[in-house]
Amino acid sequence: MSNPAGLISAVTYRDPKAALAWLEAAFGFELVFLIEGEDVSVAHAEMSHGASRVMIGGEWSPAHASPASMGGKTTQTIHVYIEGDVDAHCQTAAAAGAEIVEPPTTQFYGARTYRCRDLEGHLWTVSADVETVSVEEMEKRSGLKITVAKT
Amino acid sequence: MSSRIVVALRIAAPPEVVFDAFVDDIALWWRPNALFSFTPRSPGVMAFEDGRLVERLPSGKVFEVGVVSVWERGARLVFGWRQATFTPDMNTEVEVRFEAMGQETRVTVEHRGWDSVPAPHVARHRSPNTVFLARHGEWWRNLLAGLAARASSVHLGAGEEGLS
Repeated sequence: MSNPAGLISAVTYRDPKAALAWLEAAFGFELVFLIEGEDVSVAHAEMSHGASRVMIGGEWSPAHASPASMGGKTTQTIHVYIEGDVDAHCQTAAAAGAEIVEPPTTQFYGARTYRCRDLEGHLWTVSADVETVSVEEMEKRSGLKITVAKT
Repeated sequence: MSSRIVVALRIAAPPEVVFDAFVDDIALWWRPNALFSFTPRSPGVMAFEDGRLVERLPSGKVFEVGVVSVWERGARLVFGWRQATFTPDMNTEVEVRFEAMGQETRVTVEHRGWDSVPAPHVARHRSPNTVFLARHGEWWRNLLAGLAARASSVHLGAGEEGLS
């Protein structure tokens, strides 16, 4: 099966199998592809959310490390867009063990978001649009100068 | 069980429709892969018949891929999976689960037992275990895409009949 042009993030865990279960329970991601080797380790795994996918893997080379192996540091964070209720999503994630770093908050740009750490310390931001805000209004609310590329 | 492949896909049709498409229309949605031929004379026409998954070869011979051990319409299907080159002690098994997810069905294929086929066997094409499994898994993804197209089209056709 060929992949169209696009982006997909591969997220590293000490225990990718536990991560697969956690991400399903906390965020509702669905496992779509798993290759398990003879030692029952995860050789390759992908989960889906809406039209997007994320790869889940282990610390398979010295260059790949979980935040759990790096004192909680991360070098990237992942944003998850949902169409439902952010507050309810946050409650489900918290019940699954997510550490809520920032509770649900409505942002100046019209999205309601919350931020959490997963079972190994990866940072995830969950966001849903709750209001349509013009660029002028965003600038007024935030004091920022906002440039939007014309497509 | 180790050395397994799991592939899942949501299909826009109810579980019973997807299950029926899987077993009744397999000849229509199956996409043969030369790398994983069941026999040297493949491809033939796939069919579930007499409690087995078989491939009807162009020669007229029928190759038994495996015996169906679980047939729960709209929920679960389990069958054996052997290539002609497998020795009697080599057996793999495919479990297909059909779960209702709102208006859709989540179809999950789990193909397990590849540890029974040793690394040097011809079926593995000299690939390292996980590379072989990944290639086979990509084929299952391709197969499920074919199933999705067939089941969705059956479902839409049934919907149109309901309107007339």
